[in-house]
Amino acid sequence: MKPAIRRLLPQTILPLALFLALLLLPAVGLKPNVVRLLFITYVWTITSIAWNLVGGFTGQVSFGFAVFYGLGAYTAGLLINAGGSPYLGFIEAAGIAALASFLIGLPTFRLRGPYFAIATIGMTEAVRVIMSNLQITGGASGLSIIEHRQFRQVEHYYSALVAVALAVIVSMLIARSRFGLALRAIKQDEDAAAALGVNPYQSKLWVHAIAAALTGIAGALHARYHVFIDPSGGPGGVFAFQTGISILLMPVIGGIGTVWGPVLGGMVFGIVEEELVVNFPNFHLLLYGILLILIILLEPDGLAGLLRRIFGLVRSSNGNSKS
Amino acid sequence: MAILKVNSLTKYFGGVAALKDVSFEIPEKQICGFIGPNGAGKTTLFSLITGAIRPSKGRVELRGRNVTGKSCSSLVKMGVARTHQIVRPFRVMTVLENVQLAVHFGRQGIGRTSHAKERAMEALNLVHLDKKANLLASVLSLGEQKRLEVARALATSPDLLLLDEVCGGLAPAETQAMLDLIQQIRARGTTIMYVEHDMKAVMSVCDRITVLNFGQKLAEGKPDEIQNNEAVIDAYLGKAHLGDER
Repeated sequence: MKPAIRRLLPQTILPLALFLALLLLPAVGLKPNVVRLLFITYVWTITSIAWNLVGGFTGQVSFGFAVFYGLGAYTAGLLINAGGSPYLGFIEAAGIAALASFLIGLPTFRLRGPYFAIATIGMTEAVRVIMSNLQITGGASGLSIIEHRQFRQVEHYYSALVAVALAVIVSMLIARSRFGLALRAIKQDEDAAAALGVNPYQSKLWVHAIAAALTGIAGALHARYHVFIDPSGGPGGVFAFQTGISILLMPVIGGIGTVWGPVLGGMVFGIVEEELVVNFPNFHLLLYGILLILIILLEPDGLAGLLRRIFGLVRSSNGNSKS
Repeated sequence: MAILKVNSLTKYFGGVAALKDVSFEIPEKQICGFIGPNGAGKTTLFSLITGAIRPSKGRVELRGRNVTGKSCSSLVKMGVARTHQIVRPFRVMTVLENVQLAVHFGRQGIGRTSHAKERAMEALNLVHLDKKANLLASVLSLGEQKRLEVARALATSPDLLLLDEVCGGLAPAETQAMLDLIQQIRARGTTIMYVEHDMKAVMSVCDRITVLNFGQKLAEGKPDEIQNNEAVIDAYLGKAHLGDER
């Protein structure tokens, strides 16, 4: 293989091929249930990629991403109910979530490490309680979303797929940019980064806003598809603490700090979650707990790390047999 | 003209004065040494000047401009850079990436990656780490990490470079190479503030020396003046006249 092709293969050609395959998938006549499963998986994957920008690249562990997911969902829901275009609703959802990320980030990014993580728990719970009591959004009883257009499942599928692609592209661009380099430096030693001219506070605020915008779009996609959203009714509530945990879990399962780990984590989580919740309503929590402990103990780089290790073994054994 | 002017700079940690009413001027293009026993306030002084911590009282002026309490990153953009006594490389980045970051976010803020890599390689050349550019910073030896620390600070293109014990823990040959490097940096027009415990090293490269003791300025002058200053000898060796009483 030519070196140029070998270099481009993992970064552009493979993802592009995957994207095209997923684009053509509905044309082969999948059952609506499978399309639904894929749709939900895409939505989860977007949040997984978004969380990784803050938690993986920058090392700021947030339990509060349900805030952006929920705000995105409610923003799109209210706009659709007011007769607006759902796509305009997605964009506004991103905007509102990004705005909220600044309000949350301005005080909490003054804190470091575990204190930041704890502060995000406080924030997400405060927002959940407020949303459960806010009358104009229907409070704890939730919000029905009425779109005066015919429901076409394929349209939902494509909008989610395009959003995933957008999230992957954003993640790739950040990883390769000097901004991404600064984020990696902040993760390793904030003060040393500052001593070289990086402004850690500002960088965190910006990456948080980008992640919030993507998460807001995911929430909006979810709201439009499910026609009904509520703040905290069990694990399905858009502002529920459990939602924030799920968003954090996926990149950890897949492998934080990489571009493709969170994608992998989101795909696995989305599919497993749907199958499990249907069959065992509470069992999945136990399973995630066990999985999380195993990953942290045995393979901190997640599934991506595991795959890399397996490929490494295969490659080295190939090399041995040739020589 | 003085590049840096420090006026009655004071820092309390709790009730303890780590630095108390310290004033001095740093003339341009000189190597100014700062010595003193452990806990004299040398590193605190550096942290105050580079904006890593804020002073309790006092004023720092850079080329006549008040920069007291400015953030670390904004001071880097005004041409003030430092190295850390305890090295702080980004361990899971390559040596090149470590320096490249400083080129991107330093005073010149070079955006293009190819250009930034070139500049980073120049800095690595200067400290003889160019052959290790693509290794992870974590595999470097202590001496190499100290040189990486200097290369990173240099890559921000500073006017004023604060070196905090860059020779600490180095072998004699490495120390000499580092001292040569310091003089080379000054020859390029950079003013240097230099903290070191190794007296021979300080005396050999510095144009002027300031002595700190218990957070206060004890003496100031040329290296030979400092060597013969009684107050300094007292602070380092105990009473100077002890020998006479025997």
